[in-house]
Amino acid sequence: MSSAPLPTLAEAGRKIAAGELSPVALTEAALARAEALQPKLDAFIEITAERARAAARWAEKEIAGGRRRGPLHGIPYGLKDIYDAAGLRTTAHSRLLLDNVASADAETTARLEAAGMILIGKLATHEFATGGPAFDLPFPPAHNPWNTAHFTGGSSSGSGAAVAAGILPLAMGSDTGGSIRLPAAYCGTVGLKPTYGRVSRRGVAPLCYSLDTTGPLTWTVEDAALSLQVLAGYDPRDPGSAEVAVPDYTAALRDGVKGLRVGYCRAFNADGEVGAEQAATLDRAAQTLAKLGAEVREVALPPNAQFQACARTISHSESFAIHAKDLQERPELYARVTRERLTLGAFVSARQYVQAQRLRRILTRKVDALFESCDVLLTAVIPGPAPVLEETDDGPWRRQLPLASVFNVTGHPAMAQPCGFAANGLPLSAQFVGRHFDEATLLRVGHAYEQEAGWISKRPALATL
Amino acid sequence: MAANERDANSLGDFAVALRRNGLTIPEERREIMRDAVEKMQALLKVLDDPLAYEDEPAVLPRYDLGAKR
Repeated sequence: MSSAPLPTLAEAGRKIAAGELSPVALTEAALARAEALQPKLDAFIEITAERARAAARWAEKEIAGGRRRGPLHGIPYGLKDIYDAAGLRTTAHSRLLLDNVASADAETTARLEAAGMILIGKLATHEFATGGPAFDLPFPPAHNPWNTAHFTGGSSSGSGAAVAAGILPLAMGSDTGGSIRLPAAYCGTVGLKPTYGRVSRRGVAPLCYSLDTTGPLTWTVEDAALSLQVLAGYDPRDPGSAEVAVPDYTAALRDGVKGLRVGYCRAFNADGEVGAEQAATLDRAAQTLAKLGAEVREVALPPNAQFQACARTISHSESFAIHAKDLQERPELYARVTRERLTLGAFVSARQYVQAQRLRRILTRKVDALFESCDVLLTAVIPGPAPVLEETDDGPWRRQLPLASVFNVTGHPAMAQPCGFAANGLPLSAQFVGRHFDEATLLRVGHAYEQEAGWISKRPALATL
Repeated sequence: MAANERDANSLGDFAVALRRNGLTIPEERREIMRDAVEKMQALLKVLDDPLAYEDEPAVLPRYDLGAKR
């Protein structure tokens, strides 16, 4: 196995453009690292080595022939196994879809392939992007590269593990209640949930139509910007897609935060039972932004319980509608935790669903109002470092009120990124939130913080795995 | 009586709701599920608060954006 993690998208792109790095060599390094770490991390459902090698040879030939497609050409990536890739299985980490071979690419897969990227494999998830880490499925749950006894977060669990372990510079995730940002936070990577409607969901197994979002997990904010540049855009065949112009996400990335207004949701974090270590790192992140010239002030979000009533009513109702037939006819095929959590949807009434959608509009307006005096918000995304995998909450009712699903309810873009480490060596994370369709400012703030804080220089000590 | 207690799928109708939806729960998990439903309904109580007539749902048809197939 190569001892070094794969380079970032930006670095690999620059080296490939300069002729200093070969897509074939880079792909071989990714495959070797994926195979070597799979027994410890279980990040992959399937490693698509043959397909990857063929694609890498083709990319190398194109680039050598002067036909470089762009900054991502010839660079490896991975897909959470709810994304379709033509000719490959999409299992959703479930016994129910073991023989489900995709006939076409998801729109996002097609965009990454058109950019010349090399698919290395399909990544572990929680079953149907819900449930939790389960040990009664055909595939094991992924493990956290910082400490394999610990939870990766989910549901884009394999995506978080593969990026943190330096196997892939980009892995796609999906986010209905935090499923991009939570594994990013627990695994110490960047995870970007774009605005609802910004990136197509077509060809991605649905969990909850009105909350589902697709987006990237990367090691750096710059890589999130490069990924979003390819992924963003209107898809007329996704009913949730929005026809909104896509800006140049790297143009203002290095403009700094001087003069930008950051709303720090400090009291909201306390409402979310955020632990002392995590709270202290967020205070320091706010101080860092102020030092860089941002105008930081505390702002108040509505109570988390209101957001959670919306999020849970909507997600339980819609996911139950999707899975009701299978829950009736072959419930034994689901993991116990998935079956139980999906079954809760049977106990939500039509009145509650409509009320939740009405409250959702009110809450969205209240968050929008904060953006009249702020350019971005800063909140917690996790209460503390990743718990031990075997001790994760696997009951039908999640005990803790999550902080991430707030922005699925409102549809605002939100990004998790490292902001320090707990005493046990596991990553902590900050969440930046932007105006609808203003991912550019979000990325600009995230990049400025990342460069100043320097957390990205520390990688998991994989040699000890 | 609170509004949610009048809902057909409310806590008191746990077994009825399961039957109506054609669902089963293993015997040893029934109490745990019942407790989960109870906790969920407690969180959802905030949805009983009356809203103004003009507060319409967030999800409405968007014929101008993305509704074309």
